[in-house]
Amino acid sequence: MDRNEVIIRVGGAAGEGVQSAGLIIAKVFSRNGLHTLTYNYYQSIIRGGQSWYQIRASKNPVKSQGDDLDILIALNRDALERHTNPRINEGGASPLKGIAIYDSSIGNFDRHEGIKYCEIPLSQIAQKYSKNTLLKNTVAIGAVFGHLAMDFEILAGVIRDQFGGKGQIAELNVDAARDGYNYFAEKYGKADKVLNTSKTRYYLISGGESAGLGAVRNGLKAYFGYPMTPASSIIHYLASHSKSFDVFVKITEDEISAITMAIGANYTGIRAMTGSSGGGFALMTEAVGMAAEMEIPIVIYEAQRAGPSTGLPTKTEQGDLLQVIGASQGDFPKAVFSPRNVKETYYMAGEALNIAEKYQMPVFLMVDLYLAEHYETVDGFDLESDIERGEFAKGDEKDYRRYEFTADGISMRALPGTKNLMHNEDSDEHDEKGDVVSDAVTDPEIRNRIMEKRMRKMETYMKELTPTPTYRMDDAEYAVILWGSTQGVVEEAVDILRNKGIKAGAIEVNKPFPVNPDIKNLVKGKKKVIFVENNYTGQLRRIISSEIQVTGTLVRKYDGECFYPGALASELEKAIKE
Amino acid sequence: MAITMADYKGTVKADWCPGCGNYAQLTAIPMALSQLGISPDNAVIVSGIGCSSNMPEYMRAYGFHGIHGRSLPAAQAIKWANKDLTVVAYGGDGDGFNEGTQHFYHCARRNSDITYIVSDNQIFGLTTGQASPTSRIGMKTKTTPDGNIEPPINPLSMALSAGATFVAREFSGDVRHMQETIKKGIQHKGFAFIDVFSPCVTYNKDNTYDFFRERVYRLEDEKHDTTDLIAAFKKAGEWGDRIPTGILYQREAATISDVDPTLKENLIRSPIKKLVPEDIEEFL
Ligand SMILES: Cc1ncc(C[n+]2csc(CCOP(=O)(O)OP(=O)(O)O)c2C)c(N)n1
Ligand code: SF4
Ligand SMILES: [Mg+2]
Repeated sequence: MDRNEVIIRVGGAAGEGVQSAGLIIAKVFSRNGLHTLTYNYYQSIIRGGQSWYQIRASKNPVKSQGDDLDILIALNRDALERHTNPRINEGGASPLKGIAIYDSSIGNFDRHEGIKYCEIPLSQIAQKYSKNTLLKNTVAIGAVFGHLAMDFEILAGVIRDQFGGKGQIAELNVDAARDGYNYFAEKYGKADKVLNTSKTRYYLISGGESAGLGAVRNGLKAYFGYPMTPASSIIHYLASHSKSFDVFVKITEDEISAITMAIGANYTGIRAMTGSSGGGFALMTEAVGMAAEMEIPIVIYEAQRAGPSTGLPTKTEQGDLLQVIGASQGDFPKAVFSPRNVKETYYMAGEALNIAEKYQMPVFLMVDLYLAEHYETVDGFDLESDIERGEFAKGDEKDYRRYEFTADGISMRALPGTKNLMHNEDSDEHDEKGDVVSDAVTDPEIRNRIMEKRMRKMETYMKELTPTPTYRMDDAEYAVILWGSTQGVVEEAVDILRNKGIKAGAIEVNKPFPVNPDIKNLVKGKKKVIFVENNYTGQLRRIISSEIQVTGTLVRKYDGECFYPGALASELEKAIKE
Repeated sequence: MAITMADYKGTVKADWCPGCGNYAQLTAIPMALSQLGISPDNAVIVSGIGCSSNMPEYMRAYGFHGIHGRSLPAAQAIKWANKDLTVVAYGGDGDGFNEGTQHFYHCARRNSDITYIVSDNQIFGLTTGQASPTSRIGMKTKTTPDGNIEPPINPLSMALSAGATFVAREFSGDVRHMQETIKKGIQHKGFAFIDVFSPCVTYNKDNTYDFFRERVYRLEDEKHDTTDLIAAFKKAGEWGDRIPTGILYQREAATISDVDPTLKENLIRSPIKKLVPEDIEEFL
């Protein structure tokens, strides 16, 4: 008999190689043509604590990390007890029903019904290859694939890539994995269901990497930033590729500098970006308004983590929407994007650069820890760029005005270095030419006209706002509104409800601001509207209800963890029946 | 055609108080730029907020009049993005040594190839006369009615300790001398910092033209070795009856643009990366 899907969790302490083991397993699946998605549960410590890595792989597209655990690798006793105990229910997923792989040295522990306990001398085998027990996670990975009876050579290839080729360390790891593979097969036999694989190879990539790659595709030339989880994955990716991509990456003294540099670079005429998490973004706030007033394009990658303040640095949340929309004093045009998955992040990064330049305004690319850091398979990317930059003056324009009062609100830029078009770009209020009107005599009429000119850009932008995507909405009686990274889990919860005969559908907001009025039509006639948000106050609901008067019940989560499909489906059902 | 001072003449008339030190810099900067043959279309004047920071409004060049304290990050990035441009950052002592302190320090350590001129009037001018980070102890201002109790910072020794490769001081009472130093600063490869005593005739009754005239002397008139860092620190600390002006310190060093491989070519002109399948192979 075949099976289509497997969910594996690797549990252990920080420093035990949980994450690297998880990534190796995920890559073996993606190279076997399986759709794969991972989730990393960790704390901000370098050693100790409890972390785990969940990998879900399937012949069919996977949208979330999933619920039902099939295989557990427990690297220590705590992990073994935690992830098998039905009462603990770590992370919201259902407790293990399948096999548990653990080290013989663990000793006594509580056993639970329905689990096949597969003890393996992981440390002992590991010590064959190195003095310490560091390789025990590799032995355990081998055991997993021995159990699944998958081609060992693909695993060996992934391990070699992970350890940089065919060196001695790589081969030691391959041998350790082989021992685990054989040991499991001999002692416990293969799984009775074989996982369906295929010859396809998928790309396995995180949201942070995807944002960086997507920006490079559309002409990114410089990235300025200051490390802060979970906005670091994009910096790490771009920094390690800066030479091959010819992208200048600068780690600055602070986030104020990062955004101001990015604005300076955009002013000069190259595409530059900055990014941070909520705390660092708070520091950027004043410069956001500066870019808007001076009409200089800027794209800000904002990766949310659980706040307030330092909050939960390694935990996910969608708690920064109001901060981003409200950032900086005064009214000005802006756009906020919230890509729903890794692939969309790639395209939206490029689109953000286009919109920022066309409209000469701030554009935010909002992700969260879940999206920035989890890995997902993608079948491919369109590598061809689709750059739209708007108009630039060349130097022979008569009577050039930097902030010309145009019908669409967009005025032609003249980059420094352009012959004859010297002008001043000012954070003080100014007239069409850029001359300041704020000092000495403030001119109310000019002020109104330039304010209206800037805000007209928003009206123009609204005309090209893409329709809000939906899922199973055609015949839906209940509308679930989500934004950003919760797409996958909400869709799976919708499917669960549908299987129970409840006609639910999802409205998937990937451009939360300006609010798309089409949402009003989408909810028309629905029996109930439910917002799903990874925050306390329902920030999207607050924005949508104030802008277009659509509101509904809130299903929320603010414990720092992402939603899980089964639990979410139950909550939605409860909300529907209320 | 030769570039002249007139090429830099803006259409907006400066509205600083009559006698304000900034007028001297409004002469010295265009003089220096034009004498070096730099065309206004290739010059960018970047500033923050303050009376002094209004400078770009009054010059005919590319102006970037940003927010309080943030001229240096913008100025550096403009230079990195297009190294053909001549970038001069200009602003006040509050702008540069309060809000912008961290940028000042890091800009110096990076040796970013820009010129930074501070109109140091030892007061907040624009906000109508509050103590600044360079106000002397005891100075009475609106925010220090009983006299300032915080010792002033020393911008010159701060720049030196940050590793600045060109450190100078000037006085608005001597435009010619200032203009020569600005020229040398612009020609200097790397970060050139020039602190200018620029009297605020309205709000600073302590550090007036007369105050400085009585005290300043020119370093080149003495046997000062501009390559000697220790000597430069000593001169930076000199305050009282005699206050030095001119170049305190200068040395050759690589700039970020020399060292960072992605800046070897001019970013504004280097071709945009075209992604090819090999670029995403690592994810397979
Ligand atoms: C973030 C911020 N804080 C405060 C101000 C108010 N402000 C404007 S200029 C200034 C100080 C000006 O002093 P200085 O930089 O020495 O310039 P000067 O006017 O003396 O040339 C202050 C506090 C501001 N514009 N922005
Ligand atoms: S207040 Fe002082 S610094 Fe400002 S313009 Fe007047 S004299 Fe100059
Ligand atoms: Mg001042």
